[in-house]
Amino acid sequence: MGVGGASPVTEQIAEILDRLPGGASLADTIEFVVAWARANSLWPLVYGTACCAMEMMSAGSSRHDWARFGVEVARATPRQADLIVLAGTIVEKMAQNLVTLYEQMPGPKYVIAMGSCAISGGPFYYDSYSVIKGGDRLVPVDVYIPGCPPRPEALLYGIMELQKKIRTEGRKNPWRVGTLFREPFIDTHSFARSQWEKRNQDETAPTAEQPRPGRLEKTTFPEVAAQKRPRPGLDNAGLLAAIHEAFPDLTAVADTNGDRVLELAVNRDHYLDLAAFLRDDPRLKLDLLLQITAVDWRDRFDLLVQLLSTGHGHKIFLRLAVDRDRPSIASLCPLFLGAEWHEREVFDLFGIQFTGHPDLRRIFLMDNFPGHPLRKDFDDPARVLRRPY
Amino acid sequence: MMETQEKISPPGFRTGSRSDASTEEYYLNMGPQHPSTHGVLRCVLKLDGESVVEVVPHLGYIHRGIEKVAENQTYLQLIHLSDRLDYLSSFSNNLCVCLAIEEAMQIGVPERGEYIRVMLCELQRIQSHLLWWGVFGMDLGAVTAFLYGFKEREQITDIFEELCGARLTMNFFRPGGSWADVPDSFLPRVRQVISRMKGALAECHTLLTNNVIFRERTQGIGVLPAATALSHGCTGAVLRGSGVAYDVRRHDPYSIYDRFAFEIPTGARGDCFDRYLMKMEEMRQSLAILEQAAATFPGGPHRAKERAAYKLPPGSYYSQVESARGLFGVTLIADGGPKPYRVKFRSPSFSNLSVVNAIAAGHQIADLVTILASLDFVVPDLDR
Repeated sequence: MGVGGASPVTEQIAEILDRLPGGASLADTIEFVVAWARANSLWPLVYGTACCAMEMMSAGSSRHDWARFGVEVARATPRQADLIVLAGTIVEKMAQNLVTLYEQMPGPKYVIAMGSCAISGGPFYYDSYSVIKGGDRLVPVDVYIPGCPPRPEALLYGIMELQKKIRTEGRKNPWRVGTLFREPFIDTHSFARSQWEKRNQDETAPTAEQPRPGRLEKTTFPEVAAQKRPRPGLDNAGLLAAIHEAFPDLTAVADTNGDRVLELAVNRDHYLDLAAFLRDDPRLKLDLLLQITAVDWRDRFDLLVQLLSTGHGHKIFLRLAVDRDRPSIASLCPLFLGAEWHEREVFDLFGIQFTGHPDLRRIFLMDNFPGHPLRKDFDDPARVLRRPY
Repeated sequence: MMETQEKISPPGFRTGSRSDASTEEYYLNMGPQHPSTHGVLRCVLKLDGESVVEVVPHLGYIHRGIEKVAENQTYLQLIHLSDRLDYLSSFSNNLCVCLAIEEAMQIGVPERGEYIRVMLCELQRIQSHLLWWGVFGMDLGAVTAFLYGFKEREQITDIFEELCGARLTMNFFRPGGSWADVPDSFLPRVRQVISRMKGALAECHTLLTNNVIFRERTQGIGVLPAATALSHGCTGAVLRGSGVAYDVRRHDPYSIYDRFAFEIPTGARGDCFDRYLMKMEEMRQSLAILEQAAATFPGGPHRAKERAAYKLPPGSYYSQVESARGLFGVTLIADGGPKPYRVKFRSPSFSNLSVVNAIAAGHQIADLVTILASLDFVVPDLDR
C-alpha cells in the first residue's frame, strides 16, 4: 500500500466530477494520468545497509541502468524521495532511524524490501541478538524481492511490479482499483490446466515413460598432504628465548614447536610491561596490534591479545585469565592507540572493564541493551530466536 | 546579563572548549543515512565554522552479531557467514576461514585448487578496487567515475557469475580447494579481462589521477604518519600509503603467493592521494599476478578428498589473508565439537577507520568526505 494514497488535488477534482453525468469516467482518466506519472518517476532514497546496497548500486549504474524505468533521481534526503528500498539487514540500533526516515518522506510513499534480511532477517534470523526479523515489522512494505542478495535484474523486476501496483491504485481509498484502466486478469492456472488436459488427450504426446536420467558420476578427489609453509621472522623457540631474557617465568599455552602461533600465558601483573617489551625490543618489534578479544570459558574469561611484527613478520598472542565475577584488567591504550576500539568492543560484548581506558562506552550496541551478548550464559528470549536444531 | 551555562557535549568528545570566544563551536550529526559514509556509519562532528575540530564515529548500525551466530553453526557454515562481512572481498574471507580449518585438520590443497584460489582473490581485488575508485570519484563530485568503474567491474562480475552463480556472496572455497572446478571459458575470459583492464586503468588515470581538481582535493589531505598508522593497527593500502611495506601476500605468504613476482607499492607522504595511488598500483600488480597464473594454470583435480566430518581438535587457530582492504584474520577456538566455541573475525576496516579523528582534525568537512573515502571501509565489516 502506498501510504498517502491519492493526492488532495485529484481527490477534490473527483469529488466535483463525480456529481456530473459521466464525470466518474473523467475522474478515472485524471486519476490514471496522475498514477501513470507517479509510477514512472519514482525517486528512491539513497539507503543501503549491507550487501544488497551493492546490487542496488549495480542496478543504478552503467549496465542495468534503472533510469530506463524512471527510477532515476536517487535522493540523499528523505524529504525529496518517495521510494525507499530496504537494501540490507536492519538491526535494532538502526530501526529508529529507519522509521524516522520513512516518516520524513512525503506521501504517497512506497517501500521495497530487497533481499532475505529485509524480508525476514535472512541468514541472521536465528541466534542473532540485534537483527530485526523483517523490515515489515517497522514500515509497511509494498514489494518483496527474495535473494541473498537479489540480482540487479530482480530489483528491476521488483520496481516494475511496484509500478504496476501504483498504476492500478485508485483515488481516496488506496485499495480501490480504478475501473477505467484496470489491468486484465489472466488466470494462468486454468490456462495451464487446459493445456495439460489437451496434451494428455493428444495421442502423439510422449507417454509417461521417460528415458531415465543418467546417474551423476561421483568424482573422487585425491588425498593431498598438507604442506609446511615457512614462517616468517623468528621461530617460536627463538621468540621464547628472547622473551625469557626479560621475563624468565613466562610459559607458552599451546605447543611451541609446531606451526602454530606462539601463545603466552600472561600474568596480569606484568601484562603491560610485557606488551611494552614486545613492542620495543628490536629482535621482536611487535609493532602492530591485530586485535584484542576475549573468550568466555564459563568459569573465567580469557583475554586474547594478538600482536604482529610488520618488520619481521612473526606473531605472538597473549592470553590472560580474567576473573568472571568482577572482570577488570589494565587497558592497553597507552601502548597502542588502536586498542581503544578493540577494548570498547570487548567491554560491549563481554562486559570486561578496562582500567585506564579513556572512553569506555559500548561501541556496537545501544546503551540500554541488557547484558553482554557474547557471554555464553546470555539469553534474551525477546530478541534471540534459538535455532530449533 | 550573561548566563553561564554548562554545555553538555555528546559522548566521546575529548577536546575541551576553546578559550578564544570569537567563534562558537557546534556539533553536527553525519549519518547513519548519508551518501558519503558508505552505508550506515555515523559520525558526530565538532565544528568550528567549516573546519573539523573532532570526529567521533559511532558504529553498530549494522552490527548483526555474526560472531554469536557463528557459534551455533558448523565449521563449513562459517564460510557463508564470512561472505557477509566484507562482501567486496568475499573470496578472500572464504579463503581465510578455509586456511584456518586446513591448518587445524592438516588438509592439503592440489595445485589447480591453489591457482583457482589465487586467481579469484586477485580478480576480486581488482573488482573491489574498481568499485572503490568509482565511489571515490563520486564522493568528490565526479559521478562519471562511478559509471566507468561499474562498467569495468561488471566484466569481472560476469566471470564470478559463470563460476558459481553469485555476484557478491560467493561461498565458493572449501577446506581442500573449492566446491566446483572453473568452467572451460574461465581462462579465456580472464585473459580478456587482463587485456581490457590495461586500457581501462589508463582511462582511470586520465579521468581522475591527472585531474587538477582531484589533486587539489587529495594531496596533503589527511596525512597519516607511519607511526600513527602502526599504533592504530592500520593495514592494507592505508598502511602502505604511509610508507610501511607490509603485505601479507609477501611477508607471510599463504596459498601460492610466494611463486609470483609482484611489487608492493608504498607511499611517501601518507595523504589521501598516496592511498589512492596505492590502490591504483595494486590493481596493476594484481593483473601481473593474474597474467603469471594464467600462463602456468595447471590441470588436475581442483580439490582434495572431502573429510567425513569437519571437527577441529581442541585449541585455537589463526589465519590471515590480505583482503582488498587489508589484513583479514580469523581466530577459531575449538573445543573438539562440530561447532566452533568462539569465532573472531579481525576486520581490516575496523582498525583502518579508527584513525579518522587523528587525521581529519583541522580539515574542512568536504575533506572529511575525501578522507573517509580514501580509508575505503565496508560498514558491515566494521560492525560484523
